[in-house]
Amino acid sequence: MNIIGPDKLIWGVEDLAAAKQFAVDYGLTPQNEHYYSALDGTGIEIRAKDDKSLPAALTTGSMLRKTVYGVKDQATLDAIKAEFTDREVKVLADGSLELVDDMGFVLGFQITIRTTNTEKAERINAPGDVNREINQPGVTKTDVPRVQSLSHVVYFVPDSVKAEAFFANRLGFVTTDRFTGVGPFMRPAATQDHHTIFFIQAPAFMQGCEHFTFHMAGPTDVVQAGTNMVNKGYQSFWGPGRHLFGSNWFWYFKSPFGCNMEYDADMDQHDESWQGREAMIGPDNSQAFLLQYREKWAPGPGGPKP
Amino acid sequence: MVQSLKLTMNKIFLGVIDDFAEEQAKGFDLNHSGSDTFFIVRSKNKLFAYKDSCPHYGDTTLPWKRHHYLNNVAEYIVCAAHGALFQIENGKCIQGPCLGQKLTKVPIEISEQNEIWIDQTIIKEFNL
Repeated sequence: MNIIGPDKLIWGVEDLAAAKQFAVDYGLTPQNEHYYSALDGTGIEIRAKDDKSLPAALTTGSMLRKTVYGVKDQATLDAIKAEFTDREVKVLADGSLELVDDMGFVLGFQITIRTTNTEKAERINAPGDVNREINQPGVTKTDVPRVQSLSHVVYFVPDSVKAEAFFANRLGFVTTDRFTGVGPFMRPAATQDHHTIFFIQAPAFMQGCEHFTFHMAGPTDVVQAGTNMVNKGYQSFWGPGRHLFGSNWFWYFKSPFGCNMEYDADMDQHDESWQGREAMIGPDNSQAFLLQYREKWAPGPGGPKP
Repeated sequence: MVQSLKLTMNKIFLGVIDDFAEEQAKGFDLNHSGSDTFFIVRSKNKLFAYKDSCPHYGDTTLPWKRHHYLNNVAEYIVCAAHGALFQIENGKCIQGPCLGQKLTKVPIEISEQNEIWIDQTIIKEFNL
C-alpha cells in the first residue's frame, strides 16, 4: 500500500496554552486555531482534552488521540477500506478514513497533504567533495532553523509483536531494524525513510506516545533549534547525539504533550534490498555518541589568550 | 530562582514560605549545575520537597520547563517526559511508566520564622 508516513498527529492536551506556545517555540507555524505545521504542511493539531471533536482517549492518560497517515492517492485509500472488512472504517467528511488498530490506537488515512516545500539538506564540504556553493558560509549567527516535515512517532505498546504484525500484514510496512525484545523500526511502502514508526514493548498501563519527531535540514539545524529551546527555558531529555539505527541526529525535549518531542536530521534511506539488523537495546546500541548542552564559552576571559 | 546562599550551622537557606504561592512549585540548583536537583511544592498550605528525578529511568528530571512541576490544575506533580502523575503529598506515581513507584522525598526544615532550610548532610546524602 502506498502509505507515505504520518501527515498529522491530533492531541487532546491538558494545558492548551502551554502546548500551543511550545509548538511555536519548537518552530511550527500556526495555520489556524488548532493546526501547527512544518514547512511541508505536515504537523500537529492541538485541542483541549475535553474537545468534543476528538476521538476517545486511551485510559492510560496518553494525550495522543489520533495518528493520520498520508497516502499517495485515492486508490490507496480504496485499498485500505477494502482491507479492513473486519472492523468499522469511517469515511469522514473530508474523505479521509478512520479506524482503530489492533492495539486500540485511532488511525486516520488521507491523501497526503505534504508538499515539496522543504529546504535543501544541509550541505557540507570535505576535501575533494565540495557540496556547498562557493562563498556561502555554512553557518551564521542569524540563521533560523526551520522545521521541515513530520518524521516519525514512537509508541509504547503492550504487544509489539502484534503491533508489528498489524502494520506489516495489513498496511504493508517493512521492518528495517529491531531492538531484541523491545520492538521494530518500520517504514511504509511509499517512503525510504528508515522509520516512520518504532514500537516499544511496555506494560499496558503505559500505552501511548513515547515521542514524536520532525525532520530538520541537517545536524546544524538540530543543534541550533535545540539550543534555541534551551535558551527559552525548555528542558532537554536526551541529546544532542546521533542514533545508530537510522543514523539520525537527535535531540529530545520534554513537552506539555505528555511525551518527548524530538528534532532529527539525516535519516538513512532504504529500499527492498536492505537487510534488517537486530541488537539489544542499551546506551551502546542506541547512539554513536551523546553530547550535552553547555552555555556558550570560549577560551580566555572575554577574548583570545596566548 | 535560587537564593544567594545563606549558610547557618551547616544549613542552606532556601527562602521563606511566602516565596511559594499556594499550589506552586520551585526547583533548586544549589550547585549551579544548570539543572535543578530538587524541588519544593506548596500545596494546601504545606510544603513537600522531592528529588528532581523521575523513577521511570531514575536519572532524568521531571519538568518541561523550569519550575513547571505541577499539572494544569495543580492536582499532581507531573513528569513531562512520558506523562507520569505523582501525588503531591507522598510522591506516589498513580499514572504513567513508574506506576506505584515514588519520588524521593527530601527532608527540609522550616523554622518558627517560616524560613526554609536544608541541611548540608542532606545535600550530600541525596546528591543534590
